Amino acid sequence: MWLEVEHLAIAYGDAPAVWDATLRVGPGEVVAVIGPNGAGKSTLVNTIAGLQRSRSGALRFGGVDLCAVPPHLVCRQGIALVPEGRRLFTRMSVEENLEMGGYRGEARRARTATLERVYGLFPILRERRRQLAGSLSGGQQQMVAIGRALMAQPTLLLLDEPSLGLAPAVVDQMFEIIRAINREGVAILLVEQNVVRALEIAARAYVLEEGRVVADGPPAILRQQSRIREAYLGFRDGDVNP
Amino acid sequence: MAPGRRVAVGLLAAGLGFGALATVGIPAFYESFLYMIFSWIALATSWSILSGYAGYFSFGHGAFFGAGMYTTATLTTALGLPFLATLPIAGLLAAALGLGIGAVVFRVKRLRGELFGLLTLAVGFVLATIVLNTRIDGGPGVYLSAVPLPRVLASPTGTLYLLGLALALATVGTAYAVAHSRLGLGLYAIHDDEDVAELKGVPTLSYKLIAFALSAGIAGVAGGIHAMYVSYVTVGETFSITVPLYVVLMSVLGGARHWLGPAVGATMIAASLYAFTGGQQALLGRALVAFILILIVLLLPEGVVPAVLARWRAWRPRSMEVSEPPAALPARAAPAAVLTCEHVWRAFGGIQALRGVSLAVAPGEILGLVGPNGSGKTTLINVISGYYTADRGRVTLGGEALTERTAHEIARLGVGRTYQIPRPFAHFTALDNVALAATFGPGRCPPRQARDEARAWLDFTGLGRRATALPHELNLHERKFLELARALAGAPRVILLDEVLSGLNPAEIASAVRLIQQIRARGVAVLFVEHLMRAVLELSDRVVVLNEGEVIAAGSPHEAMRSERVIEVYLGTTHVA
Amino acid sequence: MPSLTLLAQAVVSGVLAGGIYGLLGLGLSLSWGLLRLVNLAHFALALLGAYLTYQLGSAFHVAPWLSALAIVPAFFVLGVGFHAVFTYFRVTELTSLLVTFGVAVILESVIQWFWTADYRRYETAYATASMRVGPVFVPTLEMLACLTAAVLALATWAWLRFTYVGKALRASAEDPAMAAAFGVNHRAQAFLLSGVSAAYAGIAGAFIALISTLAPSQIWAWLGVVFAVVIIGGLGNPIGALLAGLLIGVSESVTMAVVTPAWAPLVSFSVLILILIARPGRV
Repeated sequence: MWLEVEHLAIAYGDAPAVWDATLRVGPGEVVAVIGPNGAGKSTLVNTIAGLQRSRSGALRFGGVDLCAVPPHLVCRQGIALVPEGRRLFTRMSVEENLEMGGYRGEARRARTATLERVYGLFPILRERRRQLAGSLSGGQQQMVAIGRALMAQPTLLLLDEPSLGLAPAVVDQMFEIIRAINREGVAILLVEQNVVRALEIAARAYVLEEGRVVADGPPAILRQQSRIREAYLGFRDGDVNP
Repeated sequence: MAPGRRVAVGLLAAGLGFGALATVGIPAFYESFLYMIFSWIALATSWSILSGYAGYFSFGHGAFFGAGMYTTATLTTALGLPFLATLPIAGLLAAALGLGIGAVVFRVKRLRGELFGLLTLAVGFVLATIVLNTRIDGGPGVYLSAVPLPRVLASPTGTLYLLGLALALATVGTAYAVAHSRLGLGLYAIHDDEDVAELKGVPTLSYKLIAFALSAGIAGVAGGIHAMYVSYVTVGETFSITVPLYVVLMSVLGGARHWLGPAVGATMIAASLYAFTGGQQALLGRALVAFILILIVLLLPEGVVPAVLARWRAWRPRSMEVSEPPAALPARAAPAAVLTCEHVWRAFGGIQALRGVSLAVAPGEILGLVGPNGSGKTTLINVISGYYTADRGRVTLGGEALTERTAHEIARLGVGRTYQIPRPFAHFTALDNVALAATFGPGRCPPRQARDEARAWLDFTGLGRRATALPHELNLHERKFLELARALAGAPRVILLDEVLSGLNPAEIASAVRLIQQIRARGVAVLFVEHLMRAVLELSDRVVVLNEGEVIAAGSPHEAMRSERVIEVYLGTTHVA
Repeated sequence: MPSLTLLAQAVVSGVLAGGIYGLLGLGLSLSWGLLRLVNLAHFALALLGAYLTYQLGSAFHVAPWLSALAIVPAFFVLGVGFHAVFTYFRVTELTSLLVTFGVAVILESVIQWFWTADYRRYETAYATASMRVGPVFVPTLEMLACLTAAVLALATWAWLRFTYVGKALRASAEDPAMAAAFGVNHRAQAFLLSGVSAAYAGIAGAFIALISTLAPSQIWAWLGVVFAVVIIGGLGNPIGALLAGLLIGVSESVTMAVVTPAWAPLVSFSVLILILIARPGRV
């Protein structure tokens, strides 16, 4: 199923966050959205997941117009979100968080099997299943967040800054798991500030700057362009010191 | 005639009118009826001085009323004091009670809204129990029938009628005076956004205490008068749920933010309550009143008086906007100064947000503060402006330490800030938003001058024509510039800009950049947090890069942004070439 | 110093009274904790339930448990209706306080219209029945009320803890947007919760009818104590509400026995004030 975003504009009240975003994610693809802080990446991903409403533009998944779907029914389309900052239900246990991921009808029926798979991917969560989610370390919380999303049996997984605040070794682990999930056929849309990580894993990437897509393509091409450096650091390579 | 003069004349006329009514002689029923209305006017209006203006809904107004009643009851019967002498004592005692409660409760930040309401409700019940169980009442109640009442008019209750009238007029006059004073201005700002008010220089704690004491004191005097009126005081009747709840109703109905609102609401409700005297009728009356309250809360949340005023303004022909010549921008109140942070540390729970951050911003310099998400930029601004305290380290302005001071003192010393998401006072016009900052900020001007200065700053930011607009009528760009104008009012020595450019389109960004350059030209020190790298490079004289609470680079923009460490943090190691 | 028997009796009475407080607090705790709406009308609803039970019992000789079968579902519907009005007008926490106060006054007037302000007592054959446990008397009806409170509190706790709907409610209370991202329909749940809360008021009312003397002004008498119970027990915490009810009931009762009865209300309110001021974080 294809995710199609066309000229999407999103605003908070009258404060625009995204002016014009166009991207596509194909079945089983890993696509990255990179760009500096404040570019609108999280806003974009939250809108795809149904947490935000868009102002204009088209948003379709598998041909279904997501703008017309009420927020709590978006997950039924097969989209699951691992939000920035994890946003776990901190007052509930690890297992309860995972169960909440499998809340929707179809996912609920298959939940025992899916739970086993999640514990297989993250054995440490099985050990801590009854612990309060808020008491886990950052890396473990990230695992719960990913596990929770997997419980929803998505065909498209949205990951928003999964490496934020984590030690490099833990991040390595995280990205290995993301690759493993992708190998099972789940498409991934990855939002990352960390350009290196994002380009290592993605088949294609979009560069978002100030709410607009300013470049896109496979990592090999993007790495050569100075567009990324300009977006993040503000100057082109050829700039002379004033 | 100036509006204040008009109100005073109006009150005087009402006083003479109603006073004359009593002298001429009216049937006892109507005298009582009017007295009750006066009493409720005093109670509701006094309640709104804190709760309506500042938004701290108290459900314990009955406690002060009861304190006043029992003060008079006890002093006249047990100590034989003359009735009139007990009234000021009742007021003072009730005010002291209010001060005591406020001193404890107002310091606790989370006790706002419904929790403050519940707390005050609880206090009322506690006071009732104490009164019931000690010698103040002890159970049987207190009889005041033997207490001599100075006779002024023909009827025995004439004195009380006149006292009630005088108190009602005095209370409404006080409410008007407060509403148009600095105290009132500060209270209204507290209502809209207490944290921002504090940061703009409003001494929030003192103002809340003063309002509470005033409100309680008036209720106490009303109670003292009422004790004589009922002449048999019992705990059950005095401390029942009636007073606390009805004053809320009356004020909300009439308009809790307006000086005349509670009086109108009190008249409407009291009149309908006491007009129906028969059993079944009284019931219907109460139910009807409650129903009206529900309708008003849902449909006219600001109350009757503001709604009527708004309708009246819409009918009147709009007066022509007089274009005044642009006012001159005021000079700075204090000499220019350097802002320094010295080894500032700050943690939240287990997370170290700032690790020994040191920097300095000189007058006429723009320092760009950049860094990835969560690096501590906004925390630093919050520490400098006084919203957070530093765990370790110092912040100084012109050599004077800011670190141990309250936020409003820091604002007065000349620190202005903007918020990334603009937080204007929702009920204030653009002009009044800026004028408030001028009134309470470093310049501390009187109201007249504050408005002139406000107009000047609005012109500076290009919002001159939008001076009378309310914040919700402004678009984002205008709100951001209003935020800027408000931060500039009072001519601060340092201005902290928190992502002022986010959400603006390129044309708006260009005009914002020009503005900031003009601010620098006036000799203000500018600390400027931004994600928009191009703007940072264009504007900043120097740049400081934060990462995870630490300064990892400082220097000219190009130096800092090309440093290896910075590139590594933003893009990852392979980009460092 | 009162005798041991007197103290024991006081504790027992306190526990039983506390059960009623807990029962009343249960519905309030749920709606305030999970919906963020303060419902002053909860007490009026409970009293209405009490009067209806009384009426059906005295005039039509319907057994109380039978009346409950009719009243409780009707109240559930009423609760759902209230919430529909709240959502339509986008009521906030403070506004809900004012609006529900208005509703409470209207309900009080309705009650007084039909039943007058005279005291009413539902006389039943078993009203005075009590058991003896050693030297202590345990009135049967109050025992039953307390047991029901415990059962309901436990059942609610289990519902919140173990069922999918319960977990969804808890998740929604903490982060409604994320809960929705996983399929939780917050709006539908809010209606359900509102109905359940009102139904609990109905059950409390049935017991109040059996145990206490009824008068319209009682609505306000319960108010302070039950708010104390809810806050002390923690919003949205059913077992907490029960335990807080018992705590307050016992401390009031013991105070009444050791000092004088009239000091009792001081206990709950003082505890409430202390907890509001001293407890860190949001209530």
